[in-house]
Amino acid sequence: MNRRIFMRNGAMALFAAGIGGVPNFIAKAATAGNRIIQPFQKKKTLVCIFQRGAMDGLMAVSPYADPNLKLMRPTLYMSPAQTEGSMIDLDGYFALHPSLKSFYPLFQSKQLAIAHGVGSPNPTRSHFDAQDFMESGTPFNKGTDSGWLNRAVGLMGKPTTPFNAVSITSALPRSLYGNNQALAISNLNDFALQMRDNPLAVQSTASSFEALYDNNSSQLLQKTGKESFEAMKMLNVNNLKQYAPKPGVVYPNSALGNALRQIAVLIKMDVGLEVAFAESGGWDTHVNQGTDNGILARNLKDFSDSIAAFWEDISAQQDSVTLMTMTEFGRTVHQNGTGGTDHGRASCLFVLGNDVQGGKVYHQMKSLAKENLEDQRDLPVSTDFRSLFSSVANTHLDIHQNNILFPDWTGNGIPIMHNS
Amino acid sequence: MMWKKKIVGFFCLSILSLGIFAFSYKPELHKSKPFPYKQMGFSKEEAAAYLLNRFTFGPTPGQVQTVANEGIENWFYQQLESNDPDTAVTNRFNSLHLDAVDLSLTDMVNTYPNNGVIVTMARKAGIIDKNDTGIAKQEYRQKLRAFMQQQGFKPMPDLERQLIVQKIVRAAYGNNQLQEVLTDFWFNHFNVSLTKPACAPYILAYERDAIRPHVLDNFDELLLATAQHPAMLAYLDNASSVSNNNPEEAKRLQKLAFNNNGALKKRAAAEGLNENYAREVMELHTMGVDGGYTQQDVTTLAKILTGWTIYPMFKNSPANEQIQKLSPEVMEKRGFVMQNGFLFRPNKHDDGPKTFLGKNFPANGGYQEGVVALEMLAHHPSTAKFICTALAKHFVSDTPSNNLIQQMANTFLHTNGNIKSVLITMVSSKEFWNKNNERAKIKSPFELAISSVRATNAQLTMPYQIFNWCNRMGQKFYYYQAPTGFPDRADYWINTGSLLSRMNFGLAFAAQRIPGIQVNLLALNNFHEPESAEAALETYSNILLPTRNNEQNIQRITPLLHQEHLTQKISAAQSKNNNEATNNEIVMQTQAMNTSSTPASLSRVVGIIIGSPEFQRK
Repeated sequence: MNRRIFMRNGAMALFAAGIGGVPNFIAKAATAGNRIIQPFQKKKTLVCIFQRGAMDGLMAVSPYADPNLKLMRPTLYMSPAQTEGSMIDLDGYFALHPSLKSFYPLFQSKQLAIAHGVGSPNPTRSHFDAQDFMESGTPFNKGTDSGWLNRAVGLMGKPTTPFNAVSITSALPRSLYGNNQALAISNLNDFALQMRDNPLAVQSTASSFEALYDNNSSQLLQKTGKESFEAMKMLNVNNLKQYAPKPGVVYPNSALGNALRQIAVLIKMDVGLEVAFAESGGWDTHVNQGTDNGILARNLKDFSDSIAAFWEDISAQQDSVTLMTMTEFGRTVHQNGTGGTDHGRASCLFVLGNDVQGGKVYHQMKSLAKENLEDQRDLPVSTDFRSLFSSVANTHLDIHQNNILFPDWTGNGIPIMHNS
Repeated sequence: MMWKKKIVGFFCLSILSLGIFAFSYKPELHKSKPFPYKQMGFSKEEAAAYLLNRFTFGPTPGQVQTVANEGIENWFYQQLESNDPDTAVTNRFNSLHLDAVDLSLTDMVNTYPNNGVIVTMARKAGIIDKNDTGIAKQEYRQKLRAFMQQQGFKPMPDLERQLIVQKIVRAAYGNNQLQEVLTDFWFNHFNVSLTKPACAPYILAYERDAIRPHVLDNFDELLLATAQHPAMLAYLDNASSVSNNNPEEAKRLQKLAFNNNGALKKRAAAEGLNENYAREVMELHTMGVDGGYTQQDVTTLAKILTGWTIYPMFKNSPANEQIQKLSPEVMEKRGFVMQNGFLFRPNKHDDGPKTFLGKNFPANGGYQEGVVALEMLAHHPSTAKFICTALAKHFVSDTPSNNLIQQMANTFLHTNGNIKSVLITMVSSKEFWNKNNERAKIKSPFELAISSVRATNAQLTMPYQIFNWCNRMGQKFYYYQAPTGFPDRADYWINTGSLLSRMNFGLAFAAQRIPGIQVNLLALNNFHEPESAEAALETYSNILLPTRNNEQNIQRITPLLHQEHLTQKISAAQSKNNNEATNNEIVMQTQAMNTSSTPASLSRVVGIIIGSPEFQRK
């Protein structure tokens, strides 16, 4: 069996003092010198962002040219015609919210595609249920114990590194529940032994743990222990500093900005990341959601600035990365009595990557005339979220068993990706 | 108590349910029958350690010897009684100000209303304006806080904190350990989650009233208690599952049409069947996914359970005012059933005839047909097998033998699903005492944290810190979103991220870097300070991991640990490394060694033991 060796320049820093028994892996690795060895097959990375709370897709990417919208949203309606803080026209029908302006260059360069009218065939308007269904990938079955991203990781073949699937959250999201190894960590700096002690003590503690795990009769503990120490050295927290964002790139100081910055680090460190997950909250805008200024505008700005910063930060790795956003449902077409919108059905989502056929809003929406709305109030779902998710996974991750990815679903993808 | 058990409209009693409810199985406790541990190669102490590891949250110092001396059978049967008054737990609840743990369900709902309700009330009372939100956040919050105080409302996070802290306190200091371990197990089996706001306010009462009192009862009692609790009714949506297929509702709808009340009619028409609970109760709670039911059975069970909902307990709600107007006699006559937070609404029940798992239910079965259906599930052979498999996986190994499961399932079927009897069968079997099962289970993060507290007699003045660490180690308990509960197997808990967190937990715990946790390591060794790293390792391995063979590990890591005690090496490093921070750290650490009652090196040794692979096993 081929023993995996993960060595990076400086990866030996933690054990550099060389006191005590030199662990086996270091002895072996040392013979390989400082050459970078890549035992795992280079794979693509899919970055997923879940917007929890249900984003108002009709305001983010607004079908402004539909006269019904203005009627149903008297104070929330915006159009590119307005002079100040105006929306950015995309195709004469849809326009980007002004706070999404950092998306516009990506849309123009055809790396960013927008899919509108996307949602779940299950009409639930409960956040809990809709998130659950979207993450498990089975909109009519709550008992599914795994998440679709975990199944995607499984379809990509045996895990080759501890960092195949990483969620930058404190708990594993529903999307990554399942049999395949997945890691949830909110801060990569936690990936080290944390002691307020002198370096010698830290080192002897690390060697002690390593020796104990190596010596344990439980195969699971022995194997995972080995992987943990490999991961720790691979990620060598001291080296994280070397992966500062590209000059000029500034991430928003927010949960999402911070998570994407860490995902960029993992991508640049080339640790075998296949699926990455991050979340963004605060989209449940029932009250005073505002127009070019307000809660939604602030959220959209953080959202698009974080993603644009991430994309710029990984400009050298863009060919292997695709980013996709998701949100559990959209919001009512009518504004409500408190300047906000209530739980609706379809929303829009964004796909960013070099294998994306961008520069286009993909949709099968009809006009917002009352008779076209679901229950006479909501933008109906005209694209099943699984159509979109499967298209991205099929092309970008090169996995094609949709019956495993989305059991009970036999629909078709949409041509949002090149060669799909 | 506002609630009295009222069962009305009881005229549809079937023979099946009569037989079951009239009689609750009491197991014969054969205290004399010894467990077959000797013949399976266990010493008395090893047997005691094995039992304590599986049926408690970890042995306390010296407990293995005590239980071995008193007889492991005596200890086990005493635990089955779960009748210790546990004043230590009550005292800690008082000193930690856990004033919600004894509130009645109604009081709880009225003390911790959800945010939306508070905002609506405050608006009605003119305290806040609807345009206030988002504009002057600070002022808005202040106004709301003042309003809550005036109304006697408390914020939901306070209730969630109390829920979390009480679990930690009971597990760490309770004497009825088996009951607590089973509460943990059955809660996870009948999982509900704080991630669902509609369910969250009921969870403390759910664990307290529906789970804990029934963990050693007959399975049907546990099943019925969970089925009727507001937490489950909300979590799996049965509360909103209704049917208009009954004469009363048909009449009402006709009247609405006649009066041309479009809005109400539309609302009634939008309501309907929700199969969520009906599916999960069979798939996850009783028969198992391959237990032999069909989609038709799921739909039928959902119909059988229509009208099973939550009693409107919040005093200011229109529904509460409406139901208070009705006299108990009228409600009884109309077939309503009320019990704690449970309400059966006969006018939302499907009155048609039904066939469920091959049994015919005649029309107009009312409330009772739901009880009968759940009884059928509770006693089904698939359920016996499914439940006994889950128990064996939790208490014996991740891959229990079919033979053991079969023995347990036989007992289950012969004792009306008596959980005590099933556990006795398990512990009396040779399979349980197979040496391969010893140390075969991996502790969950919660089990790891609590067993560390117990093994070191640690004092928790801020127990919530344990929750934060469990979260980091991968178990945000009470927050598991899916109805499956946390997977009960080692490879779910052990992954690269979580394993490192376990090591860091051990180090932080022993070094007292976790706020609100006091550990006196020297007291564990009668205040004798070990003379060397080897001595510390040996002494504390034997205190924390009694009956394990620690020899090899001690030998293996002694040379590694020994390094740090060579002051020459430290000073050598000091002179070599002119890094100021490092120097400061060394100075600080030297000071710590001189002043603290626990030497840093001892904390480190204990931290390594707690983070070691052996301590992860139970």
